Amino acid sequence: MTRPVLIVGGGPAGLSAAHALASAGRRVTLVEKVDRLGGAPILSGYAKLVPSHEWARDAIGGMVQRVVDNPLIDVRLGTSIDAFAGEPGRFSARLKSGETIEAGAAILATGFTHFDSVNKPEWGFGTYPDVVTTVQVEQMLSSGAGVRCPSDGRAPDRVAILLCVGSRDRQIGREWCSKICCTVSANIAMEIREALPKCNVYIYYMDIRTFGLYEGAYYWESQETHKVKYVKARIAEVTSDGKRLLVKGEDTLVKRPISIPFDMVVHAIGMDPNVDNMTISAIFDVRLNKYGYLDKGSAYSSLGHTSRPGVFVAGAATGPETIDDSIAQGQAAAIAALNLVNGAVREAAE
Amino acid sequence: MPIHEKSLIRPENLIEHEKLVIDGIDVSGHWSTFIESRALTDYNENLQDEIEALGGGENISRCWQCGSCTNACTVNAINPDFNPRYWIYLIRLGMESELVRDKDIIWQCVSCNKCTYACPRDVNPEGVMKATAHWLELKGHTEKKPSMVFDEAFSHQVFETGKIEEGLVLRQFLARTGQPLAQPWIVALIAGLLRRFPVFYLIRLGLAAIFRPRTRSWGKARTAINEYVAEREAANRRALRLDARGADR
Repeated sequence: MTRPVLIVGGGPAGLSAAHALASAGRRVTLVEKVDRLGGAPILSGYAKLVPSHEWARDAIGGMVQRVVDNPLIDVRLGTSIDAFAGEPGRFSARLKSGETIEAGAAILATGFTHFDSVNKPEWGFGTYPDVVTTVQVEQMLSSGAGVRCPSDGRAPDRVAILLCVGSRDRQIGREWCSKICCTVSANIAMEIREALPKCNVYIYYMDIRTFGLYEGAYYWESQETHKVKYVKARIAEVTSDGKRLLVKGEDTLVKRPISIPFDMVVHAIGMDPNVDNMTISAIFDVRLNKYGYLDKGSAYSSLGHTSRPGVFVAGAATGPETIDDSIAQGQAAAIAALNLVNGAVREAAE
Repeated sequence: MPIHEKSLIRPENLIEHEKLVIDGIDVSGHWSTFIESRALTDYNENLQDEIEALGGGENISRCWQCGSCTNACTVNAINPDFNPRYWIYLIRLGMESELVRDKDIIWQCVSCNKCTYACPRDVNPEGVMKATAHWLELKGHTEKKPSMVFDEAFSHQVFETGKIEEGLVLRQFLARTGQPLAQPWIVALIAGLLRRFPVFYLIRLGLAAIFRPRTRSWGKARTAINEYVAEREAANRRALRLDARGADR
């Protein structure tokens, strides 16, 4: 019997890879460092997902359930890999507990880490309680508590969403576009407008990157139906007049400085490389790219290859990624791993 | 301290005291020049809704500021200050005082609709210009333009009789804009007509001017049109939160 495929990470990419391999009749060992499957959408409490508008707990929860229920998938929660050795078809990995598991191939679906807004102190996060992140707003929505100012629990009359917080910022070494924050922000803005019709929402942007089909359903829809306002300005600082937050910057389309009061400021935080990527890189002997994400082979000739043969990668471990694409990449990595372990079977038979 | 590039600063933002002494030091004249902050301090959140409620402004919230309208604009080619893209942005964000600054340019739109064809988002910028000019008038920022006085005289007659008697439109227009009836070009026109027009037509013209024929059975149409116009005007005033008032004529 061939060795199972090791999958590291139980988010959308890992869950989809596990399901794909088990569907093809392969055994899988799924290792997740926290004690719960689902990855960022579940652990960070996302509300309704883009573009399906399904609740994260339903959509991703369903993916979790079919993995948990599958007898071919051995789920190991609350543990991680300490050591990894061997060659394609014959890897062995040591868990934190000391137990050694065998694997024919490995898929790294280790995801990302949300940007910590404290690293942009000029935008007030950590200083003013009513400056929050998109993740916090997602949690307000998914918990059913609604969008309220953390300082005194009042419903805001005016909300500013600042885009590109922790993205496209050479100042703090984050040169990438996090790809999905524009769309997520438009989605959140529409949710706020629906829940609090009297509350106006302003999105401060440099460019809007609601790519592909998100253009109509998010960028256009938010303006035409929900009257969300888009202001071309990168904010210089967020301060307070004692009562409300003051958002300062330059409105570049009218070439005028602005200093406008808001009840709540939301940082559309980007996707950092997983904080554990240095460790992952050392343990699995895979290369990181210059930004700190796992380096991925050319898309034209391979599916989810890392720099080490037999170790594949999928999802936001390789760079900012959407949930849908992470799921697709999980399946691509599963095919690559399947191909490898099937090859080993053929060799043994000869 | 004298300011070298004063031309870059709006005159109303420059403050100078002819006589000013601070701590015993004479800083009169340009030594006391201050520049007022030009920072925008708030948005008027009703402005977009108001323009949207007026005819032509319905699609304003679609604009993504590409500038196709301004680039296509006939008037902009002559007057670079005529910038529909910019005004749409001001309206959408609620920068009312900025918008009102341009009240004497906005109405200059010639309705050529080149912007309407260029716009990728079907904003209908020509309609927005119309709605904005209308808004400026309703809010009392601009006076009624002569063209509006003419339109009113014209449409009032159509509503009343279902027909047009040009002589009356002209007389009312001149009277309401305070111009004498004996314009040299009118005198020349009438003299020419008298000399060259067949007598039969002259008689008909004269009779029409005196008896002002109406379209037959016009009464119901007139009531319906007047009701509709009054309804629209009331809706516009409501949208702009102005007190209810009848038609201006």
